[in-house]
Amino acid sequence: MAAPPPPDPQFVLRGTQSAVHALHFCGGAQGQGHPLLLSGSLSGLVHIWSLQTRRAVATLDGHEGQCVTWLQTLPQGHQLLSQGRDLKLCLWDLGEGRNAVVDSVRLESIGFCRGSVLARGHQHWTLAVPGRGSDEVQILEMPSKTSVCTLKPEADAKPGMPMCLELWQTGDRPHQGMATSLRPVERRQEDMQHPAVVVANSSPRPLLLAGYEDGSVALWDVSERKVCSRIACHTEPVMALDFDSQKARGVSGSAEKALAVWSLDEQQALQALRTQELTNPGIADVKIRPDRKILATAGWDHRIRVFHWWTMKPLAVLAFHSATVHCVAFATDGLLAAGSRDQRISVWSLYPRT
Amino acid sequence: MAVFDTPEEAFGVLRPVCVQLTKTQTVENVERLQAQLQAVSDSALQELQQYILFPLRFTLKAPGPKRERLIQSVVECLTFVLSSTCVKEQELLQELFSELSACLYSPNSQKPAAVSEELKLAVIQGLSTLMHSAYGDILVTFYEPSILPRLGFAVSLLLGLAEQEKSKQIKIAALKCLQVLLFQCDCEDHPRSLDELEQKQLGDLFAAFLPGISTALTRVITGDFKQGHSIVVSSLQIFYKTVGFVMADEQLRRLSKVQAKPAVEHRVAELMVHREADWVKNTSDKLTILIKKIIECVSVHPHWKVRLELIDLVEALLVKCSQSLVESAGPLLKALVSLVNDESSEVQAHCSKALRHFADQKVVVGNRAFADILSENLHSLATSLPRLMNSQDDQGKFSTLSLLLGYLKLLGPRVNFVLNSVSHLQRLSKALIQVLELDVADIKVVEERRWNSGHLSASPRTSAAGPRRQIQRRYFHFFTDERVFLLLRQVCQLLGFYGNLYLLVDHFLELYHESVVYRKQAAMILNELVAGAAGLEVENLHEKHTETSPEELREIVTSILEEYTSQENWYLVTCIEAEEMGEELTVKQSGLQAITSGAHTCQVSSFLAFSNPSPTICSMNSNIWQICIQLEGIGHFAYALGKDFRLLLMSALYPVLEKAGDQTLLISQAAASAMMDICHACGYDSLQHLINQNSDYLVNGISLNLRHLSLHPHTPKVLEVMLQNSDASLLPLVADVVQDVLATLDQFYDKRATSFVSVLHALLAALARWFPDTGNLGQLREQSVGEEGSHLSQRLATLEEGLENTTTAEDIEQFLLNYLKEKDVADGNVSDFDNEEGLGCTGSVCGSSTVPQEPAPSLGSSDLALTRAPTHQR
Repeated sequence: MAAPPPPDPQFVLRGTQSAVHALHFCGGAQGQGHPLLLSGSLSGLVHIWSLQTRRAVATLDGHEGQCVTWLQTLPQGHQLLSQGRDLKLCLWDLGEGRNAVVDSVRLESIGFCRGSVLARGHQHWTLAVPGRGSDEVQILEMPSKTSVCTLKPEADAKPGMPMCLELWQTGDRPHQGMATSLRPVERRQEDMQHPAVVVANSSPRPLLLAGYEDGSVALWDVSERKVCSRIACHTEPVMALDFDSQKARGVSGSAEKALAVWSLDEQQALQALRTQELTNPGIADVKIRPDRKILATAGWDHRIRVFHWWTMKPLAVLAFHSATVHCVAFATDGLLAAGSRDQRISVWSLYPRT
Repeated sequence: MAVFDTPEEAFGVLRPVCVQLTKTQTVENVERLQAQLQAVSDSALQELQQYILFPLRFTLKAPGPKRERLIQSVVECLTFVLSSTCVKEQELLQELFSELSACLYSPNSQKPAAVSEELKLAVIQGLSTLMHSAYGDILVTFYEPSILPRLGFAVSLLLGLAEQEKSKQIKIAALKCLQVLLFQCDCEDHPRSLDELEQKQLGDLFAAFLPGISTALTRVITGDFKQGHSIVVSSLQIFYKTVGFVMADEQLRRLSKVQAKPAVEHRVAELMVHREADWVKNTSDKLTILIKKIIECVSVHPHWKVRLELIDLVEALLVKCSQSLVESAGPLLKALVSLVNDESSEVQAHCSKALRHFADQKVVVGNRAFADILSENLHSLATSLPRLMNSQDDQGKFSTLSLLLGYLKLLGPRVNFVLNSVSHLQRLSKALIQVLELDVADIKVVEERRWNSGHLSASPRTSAAGPRRQIQRRYFHFFTDERVFLLLRQVCQLLGFYGNLYLLVDHFLELYHESVVYRKQAAMILNELVAGAAGLEVENLHEKHTETSPEELREIVTSILEEYTSQENWYLVTCIEAEEMGEELTVKQSGLQAITSGAHTCQVSSFLAFSNPSPTICSMNSNIWQICIQLEGIGHFAYALGKDFRLLLMSALYPVLEKAGDQTLLISQAAASAMMDICHACGYDSLQHLINQNSDYLVNGISLNLRHLSLHPHTPKVLEVMLQNSDASLLPLVADVVQDVLATLDQFYDKRATSFVSVLHALLAALARWFPDTGNLGQLREQSVGEEGSHLSQRLATLEEGLENTTTAEDIEQFLLNYLKEKDVADGNVSDFDNEEGLGCTGSVCGSSTVPQEPAPSLGSSDLALTRAPTHQR
């Protein structure tokens, strides 16, 4: 009996004509139209792909030819945030066939650090982006664009530039009713419904996980503007991290040959749990699937790797791309997409949920 | 001859003749009278009616034996008078009626008197004319109970004549006369419609004759086919009109309430029938027997007009007597249904009309009893169907299937009641599967090859006439008649249209899986089910029927399509070469224990299982047919879904295009027609348009399949066809695929070089076509962003230039020789002897070209060593 052949992508999206740097799934679950996949490319274009026809339905051009590094849809309406290396964060209105920039935020940092967003109420959300100073993170209230604070590490810490950000908030039982109408990211919303993270303070407190250039991951309490905890996970810059707030466990990838898994204890202290060695160095992106069963990494070695999230057992190496994989994304239904410098986006159906 | 307008003038002329006739009754005198009558106007004649009739009637009544000739002429003369005048008196009517019927009375026997045919005819016509000449009011009162004995005599007389006479003329006249007597004449002289009470009276009266009329007519109807169709047609008409009148539900319903007996004399009262429940029950039982006999005989009657009349009979009886003749409903419906596919188009049309009428009036669907009867019939038909399909000849199969089709048409949505029974669905499907078994012994199927790898130049416009009409000729085990196949398709379409599609598709997909033996038939059935579900070519008799929604249909089609195009059902061994390819299956897979998504889990194992060591001609034939049927199905699906099928192109187009290039003629034909159907359905002008607009889907399939080349050996061919049929907009999409091709070429260059080289050739040809100027090439180079893109286009540009500068055969040969030497050097595989020379050559080659960029690691293969040998000898 021959070994099963290596899995193929379910399909491949072509036509960005430029390296793919950002991916984001949206729609579908809410029953409004068919699910879409958004991709941001090196050439500054955002392509909106219909997963039904597997074709680009629209192209957004708002970053003056500069690489789009981060894409995120907002819970209300059909709004999209796109972050570009032209130092602009654009807010798009995509409702009813529109595709116009309705607002934009001027960014201060030219790095590759992606922003993070957290829904805080109806038409009200918090945004974290790299700040003016090279080691700062800026917190903004949206849509008013008012700067709330700047998170600057203590002078002696010298963690270098922030490389990746992840906003989340502790269990907020009082807001549960409202929270159901909010879906910043499906995963977050589930967190609110299952506040398994035991934090002494029961009021919702925005927290920020930031990966830094020196390889450390820090947990910021945004309202108190202080670092709760910080651990050195990697010896190389942290390229990406993802956090499972239900299990209070996170994972980070860096330029080195290992993934770091860490957890958050009740005192909000980060603790390194283990590292997962890889064959080749360089992780560009890491994402946990919304059902918290598996996680996927985007490798500089052209491979997508899939791990069991709880045991970190390597499950699959998906070899398809012919260049660095820049980003991975999961849809709420479990579909995995990966964008690569080879200008292709591969879409995979792995362990489909029954 | 003078015309006498006034009664006085006429009287003057007629008196002597009448007197003469009264005195001496001879044929001559009667004829003289008749001659004089010719000259009298109708109005005058009316005035003198009684006077003229007297000598004639006197002659008839005169005692003693009379010559037939005389009676005949008297009757004829009487008829003439009656035809020009009206009978205004009740008494006169009754008397004339008796006197005329008495002419054929023979006291000794039950049968009509043994008289000449001319006399019989004259009497029949006389009676008929008499009834026509009677005033409407008088006529109605004529049918009072007291007339019963006399009327009864006339009726039995006429029936006897119709049944026993040899002359067709007499028979027809007798039947016509019977119609007049029974108030069924449709001529203009009887415009009056009867009110309820009159109907009831007549009904009561005629009920007495019903047994006689029905049995005698049944004998006539079921008599010799040679007696002529018009007699049977008239008899059928009288039969159903009489039965429909006497047994009408409407009358019987009212009768049960009114019990009062008419006051008549005792003798007559004995003859009178009261239509109470018992009588109705008994009569209907007896009638059912007769109706069955009639149907049995008439439904196979050679003359189409008779069968046409049968439809009217069924329609009339089912509409009027649905309750009283409920026992007969089954046979009646069956008769109707079996005529749906009559060989005569008139009968077919009339039958469909009747069925439609039934459906409109909800005669069947609105009537539980009928629906039950039909379901019952369908049940029993389904039960016996497998046996019938096994034992009957083509004609028998044809009529059985016609019947099945008719039931389905009539039952409409109610067919689900039958389908929901597992055992019946199984019987039905078993019969269909059995009868659709293909004969796969024909060696030509495997033999026929597609030789010219011709362009896909045909546009769907050229074959615009009914895309789904042309179906490849198939040969079946159990029948040869094309009409049987057509019927089977219609049956499946109707099932798909009315039945629960999920249930049916599920069932037949299961059979499809169950065994190779069923697979082709199940696929054929599935194809037609879907076509039917889309409501194409299905004549809907039931208006409120809700069709399968487009979304559901698409869902169903998607699942069938997935099944069809899955590895084990699509890539079958159809020729010996294909089988050899299969052996390369044991690919060096990277040792990853990789997970697979649902679609891929079992492909390898099942494929291996299928490519069993020696495929027989039969099994290859069977495989070819299966692929053809599945291709045809894809065409059907496209047709059924219309523009919605565009969404399925991402999974369907690649497999179809791949088959379009198949070596087997039948397969490539089927694929071409499927593509044509897709073009039609999705609104593409041409195959080029189709391919060009969907090249992204194709590229996806190609690139994924290139990864498993051993499983998909035809992938390069598809790429080639796509390149041939696309425009420059394809370029950004194929860049990475061309990279893949080059990479795969490195891996398999010893075995697959030819197919890949032809792909590269197609690419170059396409580039030359897309960018005719070299000026555009520069543009192209700038267009492609990223290293690989520009790298590729540079490479292409180089090739392009090489193509334009005329390269001679010597150049190529020199290039190849140099290249091989270069390889030798690279492998350190060179003897000292030609080392220097070789190096010299290599240098120049390297300068001139960048094409053979990758030194393939596996160069040391044996065939290359052979090529190299002569180089060394030089």
